[in-house]
Amino acid sequence: MTGRPAAYGLIAQFGSADRLVMAARALHRAGYRRIDGFSPVPVEDLDPYLSGEIRRRWLLPLAALAGALALGGGGYLLQWWTSAVDYPLNVGGRPLHSWPSFLPATVILGILGAAVAAVLAMFALNRLPEPYHPLFNDPHFHRASADAFFLCVESADPLYDPRRTRRALEELHPDRVAEVPW
Amino acid sequence: MTAAPHHEAGAIVLEQRFGWRWAAGFAAALGGVLVLVVACAGLFVWGVGVWGTNVPYVWAFDIINYVWWIGIANAASLLAAALVLRGARWRTGINRFAEAAALFAVLCAGLFPILHLGRPWLFHWVFPYPATFEVWPQFRSPLVWDFFAILTHIVVTALFWYVGLIPDLAALRDRARTRRGQVVFGALALGWRGSARHWLNHQKAYRILAALVVPLVVFMQSTVSFEFAVTVVPDWHRARFAPYFVVSGLLSGLAMVLVVALLVRTLLGLHALVTRRHIDIIAKLLLANAVVMAWSYGFEGFVAWQAGEHAWQSALRRATGPFAPLTWGAMLGTVGAAQALWFARVRRSTAALIVIGVLVNAGVWLDRLVIVVGGLYRDHLPSSWGTYWPTWWEVGLLAGTIGLFCALMLLFVRFVPAISMFETHAEHGGPGVEP
Repeated sequence: MTGRPAAYGLIAQFGSADRLVMAARALHRAGYRRIDGFSPVPVEDLDPYLSGEIRRRWLLPLAALAGALALGGGGYLLQWWTSAVDYPLNVGGRPLHSWPSFLPATVILGILGAAVAAVLAMFALNRLPEPYHPLFNDPHFHRASADAFFLCVESADPLYDPRRTRRALEELHPDRVAEVPW
Repeated sequence: MTAAPHHEAGAIVLEQRFGWRWAAGFAAALGGVLVLVVACAGLFVWGVGVWGTNVPYVWAFDIINYVWWIGIANAASLLAAALVLRGARWRTGINRFAEAAALFAVLCAGLFPILHLGRPWLFHWVFPYPATFEVWPQFRSPLVWDFFAILTHIVVTALFWYVGLIPDLAALRDRARTRRGQVVFGALALGWRGSARHWLNHQKAYRILAALVVPLVVFMQSTVSFEFAVTVVPDWHRARFAPYFVVSGLLSGLAMVLVVALLVRTLLGLHALVTRRHIDIIAKLLLANAVVMAWSYGFEGFVAWQAGEHAWQSALRRATGPFAPLTWGAMLGTVGAAQALWFARVRRSTAALIVIGVLVNAGVWLDRLVIVVGGLYRDHLPSSWGTYWPTWWEVGLLAGTIGLFCALMLLFVRFVPAISMFETHAEHGGPGVEP
């Protein structure tokens, strides 16, 4: 490690989703990997250029499945253990492990587990909540939720060089290129 | 920044151009909330004796209101989730407030099972925690199933609503001009940056939630029906109750969403976002549902006719006995009122649609009354036959929850974009986005 780079990275601002996607494609082809796009609406065409996300694309659904199994299975075990083991209640000789009547709570708890796990996984993968982020330092970044489209190259990228990366971005004809301070 | 429809949805929240009409509506709704507080306080101080419920009518307004609200909540959730899953291009106009209506309706519904307990402060006993008295909840009881169902419904509906809201909260944070607005919306937006990674995971999570809501509401509504079907009361012990509750619940939820849509459209001036087409589609869905409801009333009669003397007599009793006006009122409200929607002219009239929406909701409420109270009218034992009449305390609970629902809806349209901003941006095409 040679200390922290001087800036978080460089961002380029574009006027439309199409131009953002073209720029991301060009940088990805040039070998940049720590890039990210910012837009007021989902731009699904950007997904192939987000390295790492392809590999992790199953994490969120898997987390939901794990949540469903954990809470649903745990719920069933709890019902079985409390009703048949810890506090068996003999009502006219009916079976203690009366599984059909345990199913409604099991299914519903499974759904609860899946939903909570999906949301928590979304937060974890997106690193939310994150009140401070260097990108918010850019004076125009607030427009990423309104009418502007940004492409950011992080200084953590091995190819990153303040001057060469800036030139690469400027060749894509953005509305503006700026350095993002920490 | 002018005139793009999605900006309008945000501007309503930021500029707060609410006049006396909002204030008057909110004051009336708060009056309703006050009635609810008084009705609950009376119940807590004097106990369930203040209600008209007594053997054989162990359930009355408490459970009627519960089933009614939960039906509205389930159907509004189902509509919102189905629209997300279908990827319907026209969904963006109604999704957000359908989700909000579902959330507020389930909050109203969730009150009643607690209130009807007799000792409501001990409601946590249905939660399986290791208590010092070493007794566990009875997991074979529908009341305990229902506790989990309501809990799950509240959590999942709230998550579905909030996750869909995060990008809009970030947009409001970025556009707020006051410090307070920036801090409040900033904290709620959790640092959302609209990054492509954010969107990727967000859309995935949102769709998973929508996919979970669909089975949830079906299971939830079935669990509600089990509270009746699992008993041995002759009119309740029916296998068909689960689908019947889902169908009739859908009817009330669609009617409620229709009324809310019309009010949002007219009072907030969002004609460009909630279009005639949206209203027309909800009205047609309502009509289709009413036809299914008519079929299910017919099926009910047929089954009662075939199921033997006892069931046929109790069905006849409901159609001709002291509950006859309510039974026929329920059918007129649910199936009858919706028939006007066959006419395109009716579907274009805001006033007519609001009247129909309210009538359908009243009809479904009466339907619940006929099930809950009418079902108990003729039990197996003639010694347990009696009549029921509600007290003002019970009426106060119904009026109070309606007030609570309206108050929450009014706060919602004032402080949260009632229409999804990022979705309308993507759909209608805003700056930089091809529609």
